[in-house]
Amino acid sequence: MMDAFLHAATSLENDYVKKWKSAGKKIIGYTCSYVPDEILHSVGILPYRIRGYGVGDTAIGDTYFGPFICSLPRCMLQLAGERKFAFLDGIIITPGCDSMRRLDECWRKANDDIQGILPKFHFHYGVPHKYADYTIKWFYDETVRFVNAVESHFNVRVDEEKLRNSIRLYNESRKMLEEFEALRCAEKPPFSGTEALAVIISGCAMPREEYNALLKNFLEESKALQGIKNRIRLMLVGSANDDIELVRVIEESGALVVADNLCFGARLYEDLVEEQGDPVFNLAKRYLAHNECPRRYGDYKKRLAILREKAHRARVDGVILQNIRFCDLHGAENGLFERDLEKEGIPCMRIEREYGPLVEKGRLKMRVDAFVERIRQKRREIA
Amino acid sequence: MRKELKEYKFDWMLLSCFSAASKLQNGTEKEYQQMLRYIPYFRGVVETVLSTGKPGQRFIEICAKYLDNLVNAKERGYHTAITTFCFSPIIFYAMDIMPICLEVMSVMLTFTYKRGSSDFLDFCNEVGFTETSCSSQRGSLGAYLAGIGTDIDMIVTDTPGVCDTNANAFAFAASYLNKPFFQLDMPPDLTGNRSDEYHREDYKALIAFLEEHTGKKLDLDRLRETLQEAEKQDAMIAELEELARLVPNPLPVTYNFFVYASRFLFAGMPECTRVLEAMLEVGRKNAAEGKSGISNGKEKVRSFFCYIDHYVQSLKFWQMLDEYGICYQGNILSRSWASNAPHVKEYGTYEAAYTLHTDDLDKLIGDIALLNSRMPMIKSIRGPYDAPHMWLQDTLSLAKMYKADFIVYNGTPGCRNTWGMVKLLARDTEKAGFPTYIMYADAFDERVQSWETTRDRFLEFLTVRRLI
Repeated sequence: MMDAFLHAATSLENDYVKKWKSAGKKIIGYTCSYVPDEILHSVGILPYRIRGYGVGDTAIGDTYFGPFICSLPRCMLQLAGERKFAFLDGIIITPGCDSMRRLDECWRKANDDIQGILPKFHFHYGVPHKYADYTIKWFYDETVRFVNAVESHFNVRVDEEKLRNSIRLYNESRKMLEEFEALRCAEKPPFSGTEALAVIISGCAMPREEYNALLKNFLEESKALQGIKNRIRLMLVGSANDDIELVRVIEESGALVVADNLCFGARLYEDLVEEQGDPVFNLAKRYLAHNECPRRYGDYKKRLAILREKAHRARVDGVILQNIRFCDLHGAENGLFERDLEKEGIPCMRIEREYGPLVEKGRLKMRVDAFVERIRQKRREIA
Repeated sequence: MRKELKEYKFDWMLLSCFSAASKLQNGTEKEYQQMLRYIPYFRGVVETVLSTGKPGQRFIEICAKYLDNLVNAKERGYHTAITTFCFSPIIFYAMDIMPICLEVMSVMLTFTYKRGSSDFLDFCNEVGFTETSCSSQRGSLGAYLAGIGTDIDMIVTDTPGVCDTNANAFAFAASYLNKPFFQLDMPPDLTGNRSDEYHREDYKALIAFLEEHTGKKLDLDRLRETLQEAEKQDAMIAELEELARLVPNPLPVTYNFFVYASRFLFAGMPECTRVLEAMLEVGRKNAAEGKSGISNGKEKVRSFFCYIDHYVQSLKFWQMLDEYGICYQGNILSRSWASNAPHVKEYGTYEAAYTLHTDDLDKLIGDIALLNSRMPMIKSIRGPYDAPHMWLQDTLSLAKMYKADFIVYNGTPGCRNTWGMVKLLARDTEKAGFPTYIMYADAFDERVQSWETTRDRFLEFLTVRRLI
């Protein structure tokens, strides 16, 4: 079971994607967790979260992006330039952050030089930075514009009943992931943080029906396991991370990542979509409301409360606050989290890193070792 | 932060400098020259600004007045709001709120002191803000985070959707200082009914926020008066921009800076109008005589800066342009998007412009919302750079209209929104026939690249491209 998840989490064109394409079906990639998968699912298109995983060089990314830009979109562009996303029939770019929104232009312009790397369907999906009546209205209109664009380009029709079914299916996932979250936070979690991240990422890279089936079996099997104990329990917070190796490095130091607040993590599946009423409106409301990312300026206290609650629920011994260099949104907020959580007696460690193929493994490992030792020392003192 | 920096309020220190500078020419020439010996690091600013005559004198006076208003705001019964350069201060003045523009304060620090704003830049990092964030806010934000500035009541920004690092600086400050925060959010499209409605609804929410935190209702008549003054200023800026089209350009190189700085400080207020009036007097006179605004009267080449300027200590950037006969044809900060602006008329881009209907109270809120959505950067750098009415279109049309010989990009390494696509922009402007130079300096922090290196590289570009 775990092999399937690990495979999907550590390869771009995984077996599920290959099988989907060989059946002649379409796939659309997107860059940010604000895109409602359900709409694509309802018309038989596989929604796929674009990643930067597995990059071995950044020459193409560096050609188009300036030097002071987060390495995640740079790696995504690199992979696009190397035609690693050739299986995509469309892409959706959202203004998740300034670096990511510029992937739109960089990808388009790179396509002038490396022809054929840009799928024919290309959509810029505007996402407001706050939650209010008029911002929901904007996002709803934007989602309708998206529906129209998909219908027109792919010659399909977003049927209300089918969309409701897709919402139900994705809600099923979310409910199972809530159960998964409870197991992850348990006193003796039946799986590691590395495995947990693989499970979550897989949901962005395989058909939902198969994902739900795998998840269901995984949960059943997990309940029978003895569980992992005697580890330092950590929560991972901050910039996007789709690389399970990062968590593995942390866990190699004797820690266990039992909670997170990442957009490639728990933030993906929190909250259900309402099943009654206008499905497009319900999707717009849920996707705009649920995703507590620091791009939602002014909501720091809300996000701090979420961390507190998670830290308490998962009984964490410490929090790792990481950000990719040039990700000021998470980097700055991590500074505030550190101040406020430390005040409450929750040890924190801030790390700035590059996104990529474990370019900083040694440095990371040394710092995590020291952090774990700090927590152990504190425990010894209390004992 | 150095201990001695905490001895006095930083804004009071700045006020002392600018207040003294505004009186320097009250005495005799001998007294003036004698005084310059005591301000070795500030004299470059003083001399450059005052050498422009009445406009320079008035400009220094309004800087001093702004700082005086800021330092004494609470005593005089005003509320205070930290805000940003791309937020029109008109609404604040109409509601008795003193706008504290972080970028303007950072520029003042950078100009005035030998060490610029470096202590405050670094203090931000000491308290958890990222070093990779934009120096334009950090430069003065550090002082407020350290508690050595005027007391703040609220924090307001309008850069979400346009510039993350800008918006994030204000959000961080609000959380760190535990102050009320409001963001005006900008949709990716500038024009169209959806965007207009969004701008309007968001602006109404802003007014509700300001009313809540000041305890006062917005007086529409007062807003109308402020907008009428702004309308007058737009007409004067339009005339200045029209003058800048002449060859040679009759406006001195610093005028562009005076225009935008005056607007950031006092848009809608008579102080700004007085500076513009003085500039127009000189501009009209030079134009009538067919004279260039360059000090030695020889305009050699015309530059267009597609982003911001370089605020290194003592105004060295403008001194360099003047020394080499490089005429300054404006930047992104100086353009007005009023419907009477020359470039709007030239290209018929009325859809992207704003019109103030000051005779119709019902339209005022919608008008000011539209005006605010057309502020520098907010207007041009929100959607994809090559979308209609965005950065590429603006840069090319302005460079062409003002007969620029080359284009320069200068910003800060914290500027994620432009560094994400400036290489693409430069490729397009080069294709359109404009030699384009990307400066890798930091407009506010000379430690990133020394002024000497910045100048040498700039001149090297001009030499290699045979522009000088």
